[in-house]
Amino acid sequence: MKAPLYPVLAVLALAGCASQNFSMHSLPAETPAAANAAAIEGAAARVATQTGEVHRGGEQDGAAAAPLVTTADAPSMYSYDPWERLNRFTYRFNARFDEAVFLPVANGYRRVPAPIRSGVNNFFKNLAEVESILNYAAQLRPKHSAHGLGRFVINSTLGIGGLFDVAKRFNLESELTGFGTTLSKWGMHPGPYFVMPLLGPATLRDSIGLLGDFGVAYAIDVAHIYRGNKTYALGTIDSIDQRSNVSFRYYSTGSPFEYETVRFLYVHKELIEDAALHAKDPPPKRDAGKEAGQ
Amino acid sequence: MKWPRIFLAFSSLFFAITALAGAPLNLAPGKNGPATGLADSAALRATVFGTAPQDMAPLPETVPLAEINISLPWKQPVPEVFWFDRRLRVWFSAQDKPAPLAIIISGIGSDGNTTKLSILRAVLYGAGYHVLTMPSPTFPGFIVSASSTGVAGDLRQDSHDLYAAMQEIIAHLPPKIAITEVDIVGYSLGGANAAVVKAIDATEGKLKIHRAIMINPPVSLFASVTRLDKLFALSIGSGDAGVENLYRRLYARLANLYRNSEMVHIDESDLLSAAGAVLKSDTDFSAAISLTFRIDLANMFFAGDLYAGTGIVVDASHPPRVGDSLEETARILRGKPFSEYFAKVFAPYYLAHRPHSTLASLQADNRLDMIGDTLRTNSDYYVLTNSDDLILDKAELAWLRSTFGPRIAVYDHGGHLGNLGERQQMADMLDMLAGRWPRAAR
Repeated sequence: MKAPLYPVLAVLALAGCASQNFSMHSLPAETPAAANAAAIEGAAARVATQTGEVHRGGEQDGAAAAPLVTTADAPSMYSYDPWERLNRFTYRFNARFDEAVFLPVANGYRRVPAPIRSGVNNFFKNLAEVESILNYAAQLRPKHSAHGLGRFVINSTLGIGGLFDVAKRFNLESELTGFGTTLSKWGMHPGPYFVMPLLGPATLRDSIGLLGDFGVAYAIDVAHIYRGNKTYALGTIDSIDQRSNVSFRYYSTGSPFEYETVRFLYVHKELIEDAALHAKDPPPKRDAGKEAGQ
Repeated sequence: MKWPRIFLAFSSLFFAITALAGAPLNLAPGKNGPATGLADSAALRATVFGTAPQDMAPLPETVPLAEINISLPWKQPVPEVFWFDRRLRVWFSAQDKPAPLAIIISGIGSDGNTTKLSILRAVLYGAGYHVLTMPSPTFPGFIVSASSTGVAGDLRQDSHDLYAAMQEIIAHLPPKIAITEVDIVGYSLGGANAAVVKAIDATEGKLKIHRAIMINPPVSLFASVTRLDKLFALSIGSGDAGVENLYRRLYARLANLYRNSEMVHIDESDLLSAAGAVLKSDTDFSAAISLTFRIDLANMFFAGDLYAGTGIVVDASHPPRVGDSLEETARILRGKPFSEYFAKVFAPYYLAHRPHSTLASLQADNRLDMIGDTLRTNSDYYVLTNSDDLILDKAELAWLRSTFGPRIAVYDHGGHLGNLGERQQMADMLDMLAGRWPRAAR
């Protein structure tokens, strides 16, 4: 299974490395009509949920509403990044690797018919439910755990081994969580910003979370795909699937401040998610002078 | 093997930024009455949210797309801090038969593949054009890879560089792409660039550009950016303290939004509604618009200062290297308005490099009326703009009307580019490009 992949990867990598004076390569075609139709649908759905939220908000008024976040609660605009020098070099390495290998491969993969790609995507997402269920349990959120379990059972059976997201039709939407979030729930701060080689921006807590999730997946070894001959081939396909679903492109901002921008967005997104996670049992107040994430 | 989902989380944040610039949201019209004195509520909201998807012109099912990377011989040596910008990147959509080519130029600080460019590309491709989309000459990727000076913002110089880059690109296109005629379209600052490129081409004749369309162009570049700086001062305040306050306000609102919802992770589709929930008052919308502009300006300021060696925020003799933090530089630049770029980087550079120039002549060179006679008499230049465009004042709009006469379409609403792609506007644009304007019976 893995043998045919290597020559393809090699050719694409070489193509990506070539630095002629002029290069022109085709990208997946844009589909503006479908995108606009989706936008119309999305706008209608948002209007519906927004009106719905107003209703729910009214009912919840009496319940234990979490205290409002005020402007004074906002963490520093500056992110905690003691490993900045190393991170910056890794960021550049990642950008080069992405340009030379990942992006060309992902763009090639986007030519595969959409139903097949969505099958692949569903398959890996279904596998990820296993860690997610355990993590929700560790976060003491049994409802979410049961939700995930329901999805896993339905999709693994009716969805033919996870190839189809049948659970969605029963209104069980995907809500994956990971060990990083579990650590947050347990009270761990995000820690220093950390750019992981190949994988991109993270915090120390996220990196530990990833290792934890991988460790759990490896230990459980669902369907024997995390150990053995197929592991590398499947890992490669999983990576390509993930990359092809992300439209981020390194340095599309063209800006010398891209590292700062990405760091700001990443760290503060995580802090907002933390704030939501701890809404009902707020963690101890932080020192005002500290950089965000510390 | 598990591939982390970090990439996913990560990309959604970039959508957050673009969401602020073009989220297709349906918002109930806000309270009336100007907050800043510069633009009314509807214009501010239109500028932020763009054309509602249901008002969009008919779009084709598929548009083929290719990415072109080209190394241009006249570029300045590439500073290490800009290593990723060494080649100019543009995008091309080719018809499979002989067809006219439409070249589209992006707005200030923007690259050659923005959402707005995608809309124009789709409409023009659908109407049978080959389409080449290019970054603004004020985009850092262009400044580094294609500018002959590194100091962006001069209408004539920038347009010369653009014109030269277009020739190189077209000369390298594969022979199977048959071009019957070249037309040029630009939005915002790109509109002014488009007109000047066509005027340059009229004397040099290398591309034989037929028609030029300007969408929401500035009349005076400096007057328009000064207006955006004023919007920044009014809505955010001066300097970094204002940005910090804005950040705290938005952080608190976003955090509350997420706490009160059942959402587990922040993702793309949530952010579209978040933009609607986080931006509330006219001041918020003004802040979003002027901050976007200020971020673009920071890039241009940094590059110009480095290339010109003016030493305001970056020491050209000890330029920053890959491992060096630029946080402090970014912080300083957030507080610097355009007037400071003009006074401390742009003017010193051009006064030294352009014989007989004065501060007044540099400003005059950045007004559309430097090619005013051509615009008035040549029937191949067209304008599409809005009467509530916040980069124009009444006198400038009147100048456009009197200069272009029957070759201008002015819509009542849309703010700055807030109706780009709208049905009527696109139909008018295609008529102008095809020489069917003004229509006999309107």
